[in-house]
Amino acid sequence: MRLYTDIDYFYRAPVFPLVEAVNGLVRDLVRAKLEESGGDWSSFALGASETLVTKADIDALEGKILATGYRFSFSSNASARDRPEIYKSTEAADNYGGAAFAHPDAPTGPPDEGGRELRGCGDNVVRRNGNIVGIARYVRTSEQVIDYMRNGVPAGTIAVIDDSGGTLTAPIIEQFTAVICAGGTVRSHLGILTREFGIPCLMNAKLSGVQDGDRVEVEVSAPAKTAEAYQTGQEMKANIWRLPQ
Amino acid sequence: MNFKSPQTPLSYAQLLEANNVMQNNGDETYWLCLTRTVQGSKLFPVSAYILFSYLNAFYRYPSLLRKIEERMTAEELGDRARNMGMKIQSLHMGWCLPAFYLLGRECLLSYGLIRPQDAAEDIVYVLDFWKRFQLARHRNDGHLTNREFGHRSQIAPHRLLEVFAADMFECSPGDPLHEAAHGFMAATSQYCFLSACESRLNLHNTGPFRLDDTRQLLIRDFMDLGECSLPWLDGVAAGIPYNNLTVTMATKDCHFDIVDDWGSFESKPEFVPEMMTGIGLYTSDPLSDGYIPVGMGSAEELTSTFVDLGNLIKDATNKLWMRMAGWSRDQLLDAGAFTYFAVIKDLAHIAGVFEVEDWLEIDPRAERFRSLLNDEYADSFLGELVGSITLPTQQRSTFTMMQHSDRPSGTITPLPYSILAGEDYVPSVGGTLPGGTYLDPKVDCYQTTRGKMTLAEYNAAARDNRPDICSPEYRYLCDTWVKYNAHTDLANDLYKIDQRRSRTMKGRGTGAQLVGGQ
Repeated sequence: MRLYTDIDYFYRAPVFPLVEAVNGLVRDLVRAKLEESGGDWSSFALGASETLVTKADIDALEGKILATGYRFSFSSNASARDRPEIYKSTEAADNYGGAAFAHPDAPTGPPDEGGRELRGCGDNVVRRNGNIVGIARYVRTSEQVIDYMRNGVPAGTIAVIDDSGGTLTAPIIEQFTAVICAGGTVRSHLGILTREFGIPCLMNAKLSGVQDGDRVEVEVSAPAKTAEAYQTGQEMKANIWRLPQ
Repeated sequence: MNFKSPQTPLSYAQLLEANNVMQNNGDETYWLCLTRTVQGSKLFPVSAYILFSYLNAFYRYPSLLRKIEERMTAEELGDRARNMGMKIQSLHMGWCLPAFYLLGRECLLSYGLIRPQDAAEDIVYVLDFWKRFQLARHRNDGHLTNREFGHRSQIAPHRLLEVFAADMFECSPGDPLHEAAHGFMAATSQYCFLSACESRLNLHNTGPFRLDDTRQLLIRDFMDLGECSLPWLDGVAAGIPYNNLTVTMATKDCHFDIVDDWGSFESKPEFVPEMMTGIGLYTSDPLSDGYIPVGMGSAEELTSTFVDLGNLIKDATNKLWMRMAGWSRDQLLDAGAFTYFAVIKDLAHIAGVFEVEDWLEIDPRAERFRSLLNDEYADSFLGELVGSITLPTQQRSTFTMMQHSDRPSGTITPLPYSILAGEDYVPSVGGTLPGGTYLDPKVDCYQTTRGKMTLAEYNAAARDNRPDICSPEYRYLCDTWVKYNAHTDLANDLYKIDQRRSRTMKGRGTGAQLVGGQ
């Protein structure tokens, strides 16, 4: 039994194997249900299929993927917290997440005459008159945010965040001296918010070798990255240096 | 394939129009996602809730829009939208409505559950509703979308802009008003991202409007701030006395060269708060009959209003964040999905037909897919759907060069014209089915400009209310008519409507004199 979209003259496979696999499983399920219904598309589409393709059927597809030993990466902390059995372990994710801050493409260099070591770069949100210096502190979990809500963010904190959204750090963002974000673009929510608050910020940062507590300098005097630059792939980078401690 | 004889009530022109909307919306979706997003969140499963919302939109928008239109036409809704700062703006209506609905269809096409021609009559209706609303809302600038206008949005008529410009208070960096306004907008932006579950749907920019050769006006809306139809604000936002706040902001030496259909702006040079030279504050909703000034009696009053509201907003932010940090993934998923799916719910509030079960439930046909939407699959699927446009159903002839990417693909699958030659199709998804949610039930309390109301009271008041500006006498008096009739009593009366609450212009009218000794 063929689905209407099984014959595809202009077919090209999706990029992600997981998308191909999951969508393939759904299509296999739909194919089977179409056959069960007698194969009449006119009554199946938006009709019989709504009752024949059930939530239980689709729930079962997850089991097929997990049975192969595959575990999913997570982006929301709540996902791994609620269903640890389907996601890669937190420890593994920490290692992976740690890699977000040990980026293979991060520009690095030996100390210059002033002792500054190049340790990364990012996309500047707003050009400032001068660079900013502060203490790098990683902010990655709700628990850290709650701790800062209770005890305050230490003065001079340059928050290093792997979340380009504007919600994780909502209660404490105002207390940051600057932000370095390992994801997003200057138009991502965190970029928009730092602009509104007047907080210097680099987005899409590629960082390597900066430890929590390191003193860093962020080149927010570099030109702000433009939409045209994103669209054309033009490099507009602002540097991040580790300073003598 | 043997086609039956044509039985479709759809015409060739309708399909051509629908496919044009789809292509434009798809091209813009790609550009917006390419240049504005790459979004990650540690708090919310964003991609998962986005896909969930798309599915819910596909199944529910057609019947909900028909229900709204039984009470009020899309054109009248568009006319009303010009005169208030609610969630029916470029972002919500210009982009979200067609995009969410059509991307839900793309998901189901990818799953093989529907054919490109299925739901054809729904599609034509939804996009026609959208077009009529958009044309009415944009009638002052004469465009269909901000995209069509070169990423600009000049919705407001002269009479309203004149009041906004005249009533603004001057400010400059370092003075108390400037500092208070800047602090308020930053804090409220933060709150809006949180209350909208890591989306930008609760804040919006319209404009720019020319004040003079060096100054421009931007209208900045912050929406769904108080206890409203977003149930997670029940209690935590009880102290916020306004559900919608509109900031009128004048800037100097800053040209807003892009105000897009997400309500985001770009400027040359890059906007920084130091460029702000004037500020005003208003509230509005379906019951307000236009914009109501907030704290606009004096610069001092406005300063303290910004400070007080900012403190209330920060308090609500902390309370809301603590609530959300304790949510289960299913609750985070539902809240995000409702934020997206119900992005057009204010249409129902204006028409007075809002019902919780319409807008705050996941339809069982969408609910089926909940377990599929783990983080990795959702991130990857959404990335292909709107980022790289690489799903098999989105691939087109190898000669195709998509706008912005030059790739042989298209975001949205067009309706096939073969249905006019008799190829069969299923016309509609039908009505909504009873759904559910993991969130706490909505408390029956809605903050309006007439105080807090039950939903029944709010719907009844909305049904009874027709803004004066939308009365038959004034509705069709546009800026073109004003240009040649400003000296008439009718034009003066028209202008006095928006001037009723103005500190500086109350009762002035157009102020026009006949020229040339007439």
